[in-house]
Amino acid sequence: MNKINHLYWRAGFGLSPDEWRQKQNWSTSKALDELFSQAKKATLLPVSPIEFDREDKKSNRDAFQQMKKDEHHKVAEANIAWVNRMADPNESALLERMTFFWHGHFACRSELGKLGVQQLNLFRKHSLGNFRDLLLGIAQDPSMIRYLNNQQNRKEKPNENFARELMELFTLGRGNYTEGDIKEAARAFTGWSSTLDGDFVFRPIWHDFGNKTFFGKTGNFNGEDIIDHILAKPEAATFIARKIYRHFVNDKVDEARVKELGQQFFKANYNIGKLMRSIFESDWFYAPENQGAKIKSPIELMAGMMRNLNMRLDQPMGLLFLEKALGQMLFNPPNVAGWAGGKNWIDNSTLTTRMSLAGLFFSSSEFTMRVKDEFEAVQSEGKMARKLSVKMDLKPLVSAITATGPDAMAQELAAYFLPIVPVIKLNSLTQTLPSNEKDGQIAALAMRILSLPEYQLC
Amino acid sequence: MKRRDFLRQASLASTAMMVPSFLTGSSLGKLYKNRAGKILVVVQLSGGNDGLNTIVPYRNDIYYRNRPDLGVSKTEVIPVSDDLGFNPALQSLRSIFDQGQMSIINNVGYPNPDRSHFRSMDIWHTASESSEYLNSGWIGRYLDSNCPGCQSPYQAIEVDDTLSLALKGQEKRGFAMSDPNRLKRAADNRILQAISKAPHTGADEEKVGYLYKTLIDSESSANYLFEQSKKHHSTATYPQSEFGQDLRTIAQLITADTDTKIYYASLTGFDTHANQKARQERLLGQYADAMKIFVDDLKQNGLLDDVLILTFSEFGRRVNQNASRGTDHGTANNLFLMGGQLKKPGFFNEGPDLSNLDDGDLKYSVDFRKVYATILNRWLEAPAPSILGKSFADLGVI
Repeated sequence: MNKINHLYWRAGFGLSPDEWRQKQNWSTSKALDELFSQAKKATLLPVSPIEFDREDKKSNRDAFQQMKKDEHHKVAEANIAWVNRMADPNESALLERMTFFWHGHFACRSELGKLGVQQLNLFRKHSLGNFRDLLLGIAQDPSMIRYLNNQQNRKEKPNENFARELMELFTLGRGNYTEGDIKEAARAFTGWSSTLDGDFVFRPIWHDFGNKTFFGKTGNFNGEDIIDHILAKPEAATFIARKIYRHFVNDKVDEARVKELGQQFFKANYNIGKLMRSIFESDWFYAPENQGAKIKSPIELMAGMMRNLNMRLDQPMGLLFLEKALGQMLFNPPNVAGWAGGKNWIDNSTLTTRMSLAGLFFSSSEFTMRVKDEFEAVQSEGKMARKLSVKMDLKPLVSAITATGPDAMAQELAAYFLPIVPVIKLNSLTQTLPSNEKDGQIAALAMRILSLPEYQLC
Repeated sequence: MKRRDFLRQASLASTAMMVPSFLTGSSLGKLYKNRAGKILVVVQLSGGNDGLNTIVPYRNDIYYRNRPDLGVSKTEVIPVSDDLGFNPALQSLRSIFDQGQMSIINNVGYPNPDRSHFRSMDIWHTASESSEYLNSGWIGRYLDSNCPGCQSPYQAIEVDDTLSLALKGQEKRGFAMSDPNRLKRAADNRILQAISKAPHTGADEEKVGYLYKTLIDSESSANYLFEQSKKHHSTATYPQSEFGQDLRTIAQLITADTDTKIYYASLTGFDTHANQKARQERLLGQYADAMKIFVDDLKQNGLLDDVLILTFSEFGRRVNQNASRGTDHGTANNLFLMGGQLKKPGFFNEGPDLSNLDDGDLKYSVDFRKVYATILNRWLEAPAPSILGKSFADLGVI
């Protein structure tokens, strides 16, 4: 695959036809300069308050139910808006991609719109910055605090949930701490709580100010101290480097390379942007074994296809059904360990749906699958929610394709869409085209090529 | 051109799709002749079924004190033991119970219970500790265990359009199918219909081979299951509910001697935080009526001895009713086994101890993984300790 295309699939969500036309011959360093400078300009998203009158005792329970519904809906809207940003060539692809990576790493279910967007802003702010800031931010993030029960973490009865995941899933991995360390760390995070309005608050009366012994050191540690002790271990840098390698490079981990990256990350004082840049600048990142080696996650697949086809959703609730059916709903990971990824995305049902996706988009057809636990926000939209109506403007794609004749056009489209040479012969796709016009032929060929199994890879 | 015409002509189904020879050949058609013998059917009640109002401790004052509006009164209840009775909505299960084809295991749960639906269901599906996150399910790991027939893509079928975590292994997956006809229609219109033997172009088998294999398995499974679904037409009158029809699909496949060992079905809506009574009873009625027909159907075909049905929910509910005449998320719960070969029909153990609660919640006494271990060992003849990650005592119920 073209290096630029590979880079944009991994550091972003692929290229739009216009981007493909303009950038396919760029050097990778030019592309990286643009990706990183664009990411700096990105702004934070507006956060809307939780609207709920707690004084209104009489209708309290009904009002509470209504508030929950409204907030669910806001999470759904934030979800859709995010996928649209991923697909939008005017947004910073790298920033959205990094935000998406951290969303998967610090996996957290958000049920209130404000909390979801607030957390997204945390990721947007620090996704290429310093990992310590990010980690401290997540320890003080109201959505995570609620998700991992840190509100119940009080001096008299510590709740270890956050402390455990902090070490097991967020920084060190098993084998690098003891059960005792978890107990002591939990005490240090007592009183790190969230207000009913969804803001972080430190409650001294719940906090345990006594001495704690953590990693063999004793002192009156608070949560911030615990984070510093964790990050003082090189294992933390390696752990994050491995996770980044798996997401951005290859599910099959090259341990020697990860070790190197971990050391580099540790020496650079956990500067994430530097680490990412050095990965994207390396030769091995573009090696054939790392191209087309990953199965796209459902979000990567959908946002990428939207970008490839210059497409937006204008009946967007259908997107949520697709996320659910394909197994990746934003703001709603399966558990705090996040989405398992790789082959875990694939079963008979998801693969069939994935390969029908181009057809669904081209036809704006109704989504007829049975989907588990249909969630309130979508239920209330009724049947319309299943409709996938899209706006697709194929003119840029048509002008990006310079070849003439179906076979040559198919070759060019495959080079644009696919990370590896497809198993089937492309000329078997060029028969029985529904049109003699270039536009119609390109549309038909695009739909066929996007339905190939190879498009599931990047 | 009309959009529909464009699609018909543009879609891959109309082209002669070539699939490489390394992927065709042996994996096509019906490979796996090994009908199971013993069959497991798992029924999931999603949302957290209120076990206390399902199997009612109708002699217990604490129960009635905690549930002044919600308690099932002594006159309504169907007594089946000295202190426990069925919710009246379970009327149709009475005969199954009386004939010794139902075991009720009380107080099933796990240590450090989680009250989130998602997480607790996750724990039930993966059979993990509550502090542990696994990305494979217990049935999926059974498929991974090289059991006889497990190389078949339809060894475990979930009757739904999407596949639950329970059926996803590290290597192998169960098969999701809500309706064999629809599955067949989808397969017919799809990419693989026109499989032929064209030579492949040297593509990267390691990268894309897995996807092609899944596709071809799906295609052959769709054809096989469609044929199987036509072999036996059940004459029993199943309820029109989705759940009823799902059980009908399962019964027809079992009766046709399908090479499938595990079936998985769900009934959802049990999250009864408000105005619980009517809603729960409607769902329990749906469940019981469909199960009764299903069990009778199997019996009529002489198959009940070959089938074990497990019914579970991700948690029970709190003992105390809430202010909206509903109940909130709780912990331990009862679980049902049905079939023709139960060793301890009736009640396996004592009912819940309402005088000994954990912060208003029932304490578990039977780890649900003991139930899985028993089923894996005794029924599926599979190595339970390696599938569940550790050894659990056999309950001796089957």
